[in-house]
Amino acid sequence: MATAGICWDLAKAALRAQMEYRANFLVGILAGVVWQVTGFFTIWVILSRFHSIGGWTLGEIAFLYGLRLTAHGLWVVPFARLIDMDYMVREGEFDRFLIRPLNPMLQIITSRLRIAALGDLVGGVVLLSAASAKAGVDWSPVALVYLILVLIGGALAEAALQIGCAALSFRFLDTGGLRFLIDDAFNKFGGYPLKIFSGGMQFFLTWIVPMAFVAYLPAAVLLGRTGELRVSPVVAYLAPLVGLIWFVAAWRIWSWQSRNYQSSGH
Amino acid sequence: MPIITADNLVKEFRLPKRYGGPLGGLRTLFTPAYTVKRAVDGVSFTVDEGELVGYLGPNGAGKSTTIKMLTGILVPTSGMLEVAGLVPWERREENALRIGVVFGQRSQLWWDLPLIDSLRLVGKLYRVPAERYRRNLDRFTELLGLGAFLQTPVRQLSLGQRMRGDLAAAMLYEPPLLYLDEPTVGLDVLAKERMRSFIAEVNREHGTTIILTTHDLADVEKLCRRIIFIDQGKVLYDGPVQRLKEQFAPWRELVVQLVPDGGELPPDELFDLPGVEVARREGAKVWLRFDPKLIPAPRLIAQVTARCPVSDLAIVEPELAGVVRGIYAEREAALTP
Ligand SMILES: Nc1ncnc2c1ncn2[C@@H]1O[C@H](COP(=O)(O)OP(=O)(O)OP(=O)(O)O)[C@@H](O)[C@H]1O
Ligand SMILES: [Mg+2]
Repeated sequence: MATAGICWDLAKAALRAQMEYRANFLVGILAGVVWQVTGFFTIWVILSRFHSIGGWTLGEIAFLYGLRLTAHGLWVVPFARLIDMDYMVREGEFDRFLIRPLNPMLQIITSRLRIAALGDLVGGVVLLSAASAKAGVDWSPVALVYLILVLIGGALAEAALQIGCAALSFRFLDTGGLRFLIDDAFNKFGGYPLKIFSGGMQFFLTWIVPMAFVAYLPAAVLLGRTGELRVSPVVAYLAPLVGLIWFVAAWRIWSWQSRNYQSSGH
Repeated sequence: MPIITADNLVKEFRLPKRYGGPLGGLRTLFTPAYTVKRAVDGVSFTVDEGELVGYLGPNGAGKSTTIKMLTGILVPTSGMLEVAGLVPWERREENALRIGVVFGQRSQLWWDLPLIDSLRLVGKLYRVPAERYRRNLDRFTELLGLGAFLQTPVRQLSLGQRMRGDLAAAMLYEPPLLYLDEPTVGLDVLAKERMRSFIAEVNREHGTTIILTTHDLADVEKLCRRIIFIDQGKVLYDGPVQRLKEQFAPWRELVVQLVPDGGELPPDELFDLPGVEVARREGAKVWLRFDPKLIPAPRLIAQVTARCPVSDLAIVEPELAGVVRGIYAEREAALTP
């Protein structure tokens, strides 16, 4: 538990450092909120045209979107520093994480928090509660526990992809484009019921890239729509576990790839 | 018992051939084209507990690369390394607890926070008990004169202040091993002096084993008993400072102050003796470089004083800086066809 205490201290220090640039800090939060409002507005416009997408009602889609957004916020807030991976590896900044007695990934997590992404979290939670009333989700205690697990699992699944991708930085130095691509794909497709895509695409977004486990499958479970899934409902129930497995695997790969780190020449 | 054993260490850097253009990154990903740079090429040495070793060599010799392998930052291409019974890159966190590292070129401190916050975090990270933390903080604050800027954000510190902060951070948890990569680079004379006495004190009082790289040979002459000299990734010399001089600069110099004989100064030819050459001449002052094996100093003095009147004599040993300059020059000559 000493490790938890150290991480807590490091995270607090990171926040204090960020507060040094107060204006930047506030603008960041504001930008985050604006970004999320426009993101949801886009979907809103599409919805108000069609009233349903793939048989999912407005409330259901909003619920799905809220799930994804909350999970997204949950991974982005702590893993903000991953965005700098290319830079840290190329410039040799990663050195410092290797000479301190703490797992380098924990140091990355605790070296910066993306406060702007708190906007995602707040937006997600608000949307989730509003939409669940509209979509008529039955909140039994089991469903609530499942929701929490699924949000964490979704965050872990998305983090896993980004971490796996960041692992390539150690060898290839620039992977920012690829990571942006993944982030963009999650933004674009993650908020829709995946059944509107072709079978091949659904297979890809379930088994090759775990996007389905972030929001679509859990939402189907909570909305009682498992009947329409192309996978067994059991798979959907196990969504949090899938996220966890992906995350552990990605972390392993990342640590293993860090042996290829070359530092910089000065 | 050696605390560090390096055996035939090799580090090669693979430099991917890069491609430009919008999909250049992807192409780099899938096209395995590399140039290989061998930065460390079969380095072996051992260091005993409590030693203070100067790790020297010209720019690009492979010093920092070696240090990075010792700290666990880099994994060697081949070879074996053991530091206090551990392979650094395999047990990185355990190794980190036992070493202090200062890179003169790059601070390990928290850039945006006051220096004291960095020190506090280091204390936490290395699990220093509160009481010992206080004691060490007070001691290093005094020894390094940190008091005036403990509350200043690190990014606002001058180079010398920052370096002192880095050194305090590296010693706060009293690691048995200290790696210093150019800790005096860019410091003024006084700051260098202070840094040196701190390093010497830490080595003496705590028995800390220290490996130091520097381009300032005064650092070495003041601090190190032993030096390891590398060039192009290979060890050129490993031993006491004194023996390096004997090996690479076996000569001495006899400085002679001549007395003009009837207004005339004797010509250089006067000193044409076996094993002797005129290294420098400034009017009545002559520097005679001689090989003591060919002509012992007393004989040379006898010969010189017999040939012309002399008002003063002094024998000087080559300075380390001069010796190293000589080695570098020789190497340059060997490299240029
Ligand atoms: N990360 C890296 N990627 C590619 N090449 C590198 C890297 N680090 C070092 N090199 C190369 O390896 C060689 C040795 O570099 P190193 O930094 O160890 O030299 P050094 O002895 O510390 O030199 P200096 O006195 O200039 O600090 C140099 O030719 C350098 O260009
Ligand atoms: Mg160097």
